[in-house]
Amino acid sequence: MTNHLEISHLWFRHQAASDYILKDISLTIGRGEVIALVGLSGCGKSTLCYCIAGIIPRIYPGELKGEILLEGKPITEMTLPQVACRLGFVFQNPDNQLFSPTVEDEIAFGPENLCLPQPEIEKRVVESLSMVGMLQHRYKNPHHLSGGQKQLIALAAVLALNPEILIFDEALSQLDSRGKAMIQQQIRDLKSKGKTIIMIEHDLNNIVLADRVLHLKQGALIAYSGSF
Amino acid sequence: MIPSLRLDPRAKLVIVICISTLAVFLEKLSFMLALLVATLLVAWLFQLHSSRSIGRIKKVLSVIIFIAMLQSLFTNAGTPLLSIGHITIISTYGLQRGVGVLLRISIIVLSAALLTTSSSRDIVQGLIQWKMPYELAFMVSIGIRFLPLLAEEIQDTFVALQLRGVELKKIPMKRKIKTYSYLLMPMVSSVLIKGRELSMAMELRAFRAYPERSSLRTLKMKHMDYAFILLSLSLTSAVFYIYMHY
Amino acid sequence: MFIHVSEVSFGYKKGEEILKAISLTLRQNQFTVIRGDNGSGKTTLGKLLVGILKPDSGSIFIDGRKTSQMSLGEIGKQIGYLFQEPERQIFTSTVGEELSLSLELNNEKDSSQQDRVTELLELFQLLPLINQFPFFLSRGEKQRLAMASILVNQPKFLVLDEPTTGLDQVRRRVLSELLLAQRAKGVGMAVITHDEEFINRLADRIIVLEGGVIKSDTFTKA
Repeated sequence: MTNHLEISHLWFRHQAASDYILKDISLTIGRGEVIALVGLSGCGKSTLCYCIAGIIPRIYPGELKGEILLEGKPITEMTLPQVACRLGFVFQNPDNQLFSPTVEDEIAFGPENLCLPQPEIEKRVVESLSMVGMLQHRYKNPHHLSGGQKQLIALAAVLALNPEILIFDEALSQLDSRGKAMIQQQIRDLKSKGKTIIMIEHDLNNIVLADRVLHLKQGALIAYSGSF
Repeated sequence: MIPSLRLDPRAKLVIVICISTLAVFLEKLSFMLALLVATLLVAWLFQLHSSRSIGRIKKVLSVIIFIAMLQSLFTNAGTPLLSIGHITIISTYGLQRGVGVLLRISIIVLSAALLTTSSSRDIVQGLIQWKMPYELAFMVSIGIRFLPLLAEEIQDTFVALQLRGVELKKIPMKRKIKTYSYLLMPMVSSVLIKGRELSMAMELRAFRAYPERSSLRTLKMKHMDYAFILLSLSLTSAVFYIYMHY
Repeated sequence: MFIHVSEVSFGYKKGEEILKAISLTLRQNQFTVIRGDNGSGKTTLGKLLVGILKPDSGSIFIDGRKTSQMSLGEIGKQIGYLFQEPERQIFTSTVGEELSLSLELNNEKDSSQQDRVTELLELFQLLPLINQFPFFLSRGEKQRLAMASILVNQPKFLVLDEPTTGLDQVRRRVLSELLLAQRAKGVGMAVITHDEEFINRLADRIIVLEGGVIKSDTFTKA
């Protein structure tokens, strides 16, 4: 198993903050691993994932030290669209990541940006919507769906880019039990296809899916002891 | 009658631009009335539900009456219709101007509603196929999309401020203005948060990966579209010609 | 103090009723939980209670007074409302100013009220953050700030919309402690939530909404 993601001696401090929120984090994640990241809110879980995705320091300014290698390449040398082909990110708030007039357009947005030919885009729209069980909502306006359904659309939109790594930032929080079961099955399927998954979780029930649980506390990764 | 006429969004765009250009330039009431009739005809042709447009026009009606009064107050033209002492409240001139503004706004609102019969994604696609840079087309359309959401948030914020125990009706003007200034902070922060989260979501779905992008749907102009574009352009030129020369 | 809802119907669009002729009475000595699926009308009911929305038909009474005849300012002095998004109710550039805002707005600045502000800052663990810019606070901190600011007005009743969203377990526990403490002081509560653990811990009364009507109304504790 090759290393999919390598973080070495990562430090980060927000522009306005006096102290570092991430302190000397080193972490190696292998291809096909499912990682759960736990910790209190505000402890830097999202910040760590933003660093991995290259959002920090591009969109959130601050002081970043250390190195992150995505498939062996430093993340700082890639543009965000280049990152997007390898890594998909499902954010916390579905309202601010859906911006198209129909579900279909929302899913097609990524593949269109990659200049894929029309039949391939069509194929990916149908495939990704089927994966999250939302194909029947294809022509609806995403803003008219419930919070949980919006999260499923946001996931499908990311799956359409066929990334090798997926990051879920508490992306299951608004789902009902049926939706949760569906996503959990989806995570198992993605794992069997060799995808690497990082989940930020509050819900201890979702942690059972993980191969490894990482606990972030006071800016450092510590051993997970069953509670936090 | 043509059952639900389907046109390329670009053809609709040309029609709307023609009508609203005329609405801005025409000054004579007779011409504007004729234009309003033409616009209504177009709306009927496209089976537009005009009730919402009429609702919007109603909202600005009081502003229009105010404009008519201002015009009457500050210009001496026309015959006074209603006056208190020597001050003219409404004159024929003011009334004429007021009706003019009303017609103009009605025509523009009605014709713009034509664009709502196309999906915003299709309009963006039309503009891109007409060589507009796609970044610009997307930014504008997403901006318009988020305006109503923002308006709702601002309304919530305003309510929250009043619930802090402010009785807006009872406080003097100076403190009222200071109170309103408190709305600025949540408004700005909301726009900043939205903007930042949207750009994260878009870029991490490969927005701006290449100078070009493909599309799930491509628009193709049909004979009917060309016919409508030609018709609206020539009608508009003809009206201008007549208007200038007679 | 009580809130009485009488035959209230409401819809955002004509012909689409979110709430259908709802009647209920909320009392100050109860911790009431309002639950239901997405789209059941929970948030709408909460907004109607504090007069953010006006009923299409029916009326709401606070201590016998019709809310339609009260200004939002008057209602705010009786009932505190916590939005789902705390950002919508934070107005100033420091945490400290935020708590004094109500006093500032109402020109009440005597020392007993200043003491109350300090007390609330301490109770809600906001003292270390007093000079911080609220925009940079975490969600949990923003929420504690919003709640403390509401309590400055000493409302007799609180309506909270999904207060546990985005909070981890420790913060949830802190929140329930704070709510219980307010309750002990005699502040009535109506909490809109679907958080099971939270409901089991705190609720005296559970009202379930479904499709715009009250499906059940049960008392869990005597």
